[in-house]
Amino acid sequence: MLRCERSVDTAPTITIHLPGPLRAYCAGKAQLQLTVPTVLAALEELEKNQPTLYCNICDEAGQVRRHLNVFVNSDNIRDGNGVGTVLKTGDVVTFLPAVSGG
Amino acid sequence: MADRIVLAIGTKKGVFVAEAAKKRRAFTLRGPFSPGIPVYPTFIDTRGTPSIYASSCNPFFGMKVMRSTDMGKSFKETKSAPAFAKEDGRTLANIWALEAGSSKKELLCGVEPASLFRSRDNGDSWEMVEGISNHDHSRKWNPGNGGLCMHTIIRDGNRLHLGISTGGHYLSEDGGETFKAANKGIGAGFAPDPYPEFGQCVHKIARHDAAPGRLYMQNHGGWAEWTGPGGPRPDIGVLRSDDHGQSWRSIAKGLPSDFGFPIVVHPHKPDTIYVVPLEPMTRSCPGGAPAVWRSENAGESWKRLSKGFPKKQSYFTILRDAMDADELKTPALYLGTTTGQLWMGREGGEKWECLFDSLPPIHNVKVAAV
Repeated sequence: MLRCERSVDTAPTITIHLPGPLRAYCAGKAQLQLTVPTVLAALEELEKNQPTLYCNICDEAGQVRRHLNVFVNSDNIRDGNGVGTVLKTGDVVTFLPAVSGG
Repeated sequence: MADRIVLAIGTKKGVFVAEAAKKRRAFTLRGPFSPGIPVYPTFIDTRGTPSIYASSCNPFFGMKVMRSTDMGKSFKETKSAPAFAKEDGRTLANIWALEAGSSKKELLCGVEPASLFRSRDNGDSWEMVEGISNHDHSRKWNPGNGGLCMHTIIRDGNRLHLGISTGGHYLSEDGGETFKAANKGIGAGFAPDPYPEFGQCVHKIARHDAAPGRLYMQNHGGWAEWTGPGGPRPDIGVLRSDDHGQSWRSIAKGLPSDFGFPIVVHPHKPDTIYVVPLEPMTRSCPGGAPAVWRSENAGESWKRLSKGFPKKQSYFTILRDAMDADELKTPALYLGTTTGQLWMGREGGEKWECLFDSLPPIHNVKVAAV
């Protein structure tokens, strides 16, 4: 489970890319620009400024929802440092539902 | 004066709304709304201008509550859904029950893990009902096959009855401030102690305003042949209370199985109740021959109602909230199956016909005359 905890780092500008079902929670936008050092910081920024969108991505305990994958460019953060994954200018963070269900 | 029958149908793939004139000759179907997302409870709120509420239990993006103010032509999410406080440690896994609260805008919502939430603004904001959600027993309840769910909420004046699987029946007599386990006579087949203080797998509870103090329960039966610790527990599955749920006794005698999920009271006859006995191992109709069973004397005897249902090779499962009755003078029953069939039983269940035969698996059926 990916735990969202506070971190402090440098602050590159990155792009959050949102799948269709999430755009309704941020005025229809497909992308958001954030200046944040890590995935965790991006989530914290969303919690602060886009709380409705944030609730779709993280549960009440601050965990990234179980069936949601977070990619930095083409890498799933589960394969890296989780929400501690460090971001650099130009990175694209994508939230995608896992392939599951029937 | 009601002139339409409206059905809210919660399925594995969204919510549908069916509508017919009150003669019920032809139903039109709208939906799915929240397509592809499981919907467990629905609630048709007839206090004032009718509204339909439904959960949307999104495995990817979390739980939502949806509201329709145009009788199911469209649904919108309410401004928020029930949620535990960050420091609570629990996270919302599912929404299982939506019911009317004590005032016009008040809603009650039972969730998984078993907890109760209240909204005072038609579902736009929610607060936890601490008396049951943080009850001393609440961290000792265990999930059943469907999860640790609070699935039944019944208001009776200042009393509030809750059904929890597996937690049992809890009763508040002070409007929901405090609760006590009220499970005397309710058996548990899956525990060495056949009659524990709490922890029973209650499936559904029903009552009628015209029978004060009486409640009916479909409990997790099917333990007549148990030979382990505590011995056999025949007939623990269908129960009745005549003292506001303080104590319960079996009314399962005469049924082909005391296992089942829904239990429904006739809208005008408080002694008339309906159950759907299922084989406990397969949770499907005994012998592959579907039937609803009706008692007209509060469970003292039962009659099989099967006219119109297939006579063989039909292994229906009807879940706890998938049967309801309308309130017309001669009411019809409605039931949905996990194989996606919606059935209507005219004349109080005497004559059954299939209204829709290829819906997604049906979790919930609610009906109202509007």
